[in-house]
Amino acid sequence: MLTSGPVVVMQVPEMLNVEEVHNFMQELGPLLDSNRPRVVLDCSQVCTMESAGVEMLLRCLEEVLKRDGDLKLAALSPEAEVILELMRVARVFETFQTCEDAVRSFQAIPADAVPQDDPWFANVFNELGVLKQAS
Amino acid sequence: MIAAIIIADSETEGETRCQPVSATTNWACIDVLGQPVLGRIVDGLKNGGIDSVFVFSPPQGSFGIHADARALALDNWRAAGFRFAKCREEAFEAVLIANCGTYAEFDLDDMLAFHHEQGQPVSRALAADGPVDLWLIDPSRFSNSEDLRTDILATDPAYYELLGYVNRLSSAREFRRLVVDSFSSRCRLRPRGVETRPGVWIGESAEVGRGARLVAPAFVGRGVKIGDDCLITRGSNVERSSDIDFATAVEDSSILPNTYLGIGLDLSHSVANGRNLWNLRHDVTLEITDPVVMRPNPGNRARRAWSDIQKDGFRLSAQGVSQ
Repeated sequence: MLTSGPVVVMQVPEMLNVEEVHNFMQELGPLLDSNRPRVVLDCSQVCTMESAGVEMLLRCLEEVLKRDGDLKLAALSPEAEVILELMRVARVFETFQTCEDAVRSFQAIPADAVPQDDPWFANVFNELGVLKQAS
Repeated sequence: MIAAIIIADSETEGETRCQPVSATTNWACIDVLGQPVLGRIVDGLKNGGIDSVFVFSPPQGSFGIHADARALALDNWRAAGFRFAKCREEAFEAVLIANCGTYAEFDLDDMLAFHHEQGQPVSRALAADGPVDLWLIDPSRFSNSEDLRTDILATDPAYYELLGYVNRLSSAREFRRLVVDSFSSRCRLRPRGVETRPGVWIGESAEVGRGARLVAPAFVGRGVKIGDDCLITRGSNVERSSDIDFATAVEDSSILPNTYLGIGLDLSHSVANGRNLWNLRHDVTLEITDPVVMRPNPGNRARRAWSDIQKDGFRLSAQGVSQ
């Protein structure tokens, strides 16, 4: 059974420019180095996000995924939503209305941990294959 | 003889302007499908038989620079007041005064006939949602002080019902609606440019890159550069001298003049102007501080806008503009 640390919730600063990214990464960076990091970024206060800020989010996501963790965004401000959509990265992240929902999502049982019955279409392909061979 | 006095000011009954594009520019001075509403009003009046048109607007080169928008508005009205007094001396039969924050389509002859029929010194246009800042005044029966606007508002007018298209142009949302209504022929405003195929207009000297798609209805203004692999679709208009960089998609949006939009972006349901972005879906306005994403395009915006109006050959009394 895999273990992981607690879910860390961090507030993203109001202005995510080059300078703020540097400051923010000094706090967030060490958390990303842990085993299976689980991070929720609270974006409720975000007013401006430059390309450096978006790049930071993508890099953080990449880092946590490398360590078999995850990073989720929560409580996106309308400004943050607009900027993420504008830069075509809105769908890259899993987003939640509230931090509580995002934290709760980490506690959900993953699908691969639950035994699955064969899907209804599994045999259909087999039968089609047989028919094709017969013809 | 009929004169027209046009004041380029946001329509407001109160002390403050309604969501102007900037501190000194209103939506009527911004290109809509190749020409500002102000210019279109002048064209319409010229074609409608007006003998003289006087335009009062922010002086050339002052867009975004003037610190006090309210003082500027007062200056325009004061200058209009002096002009109106001169029209009285010059024995004009009627003076049409329009505060061109609103785009309104109406029959001038019909309004004149109504004005004469009613016999009152002032007639005011009335749209379905309230009065419009458009008056027809008999100068021989109306005397004004320095504050023309207050004098007009203090007079009880005869109301002329506007049956044509009206757009208050007081916000980005209404600006966008005007563009969409033009594309769907709900108003008489037509794009300026060559219709290269049904529903797609391209202005003079515009460049469209390789692989870029313009899906009707769409408008690309004069001097615009559309980068390779871009997509302009769903009633989007890219106005004069803007630059859309490689692989960016613009959907149901307006890019105002002299705006640069960066690489690989996806702009939808928005109005973009330099650093300002109005997103109409999320109902939010924000300033984009990252020049890589969006920024004003260099060039003298004010001079180009004024040269368009001056080409009409009307006498202009705008402050700072010499004939």
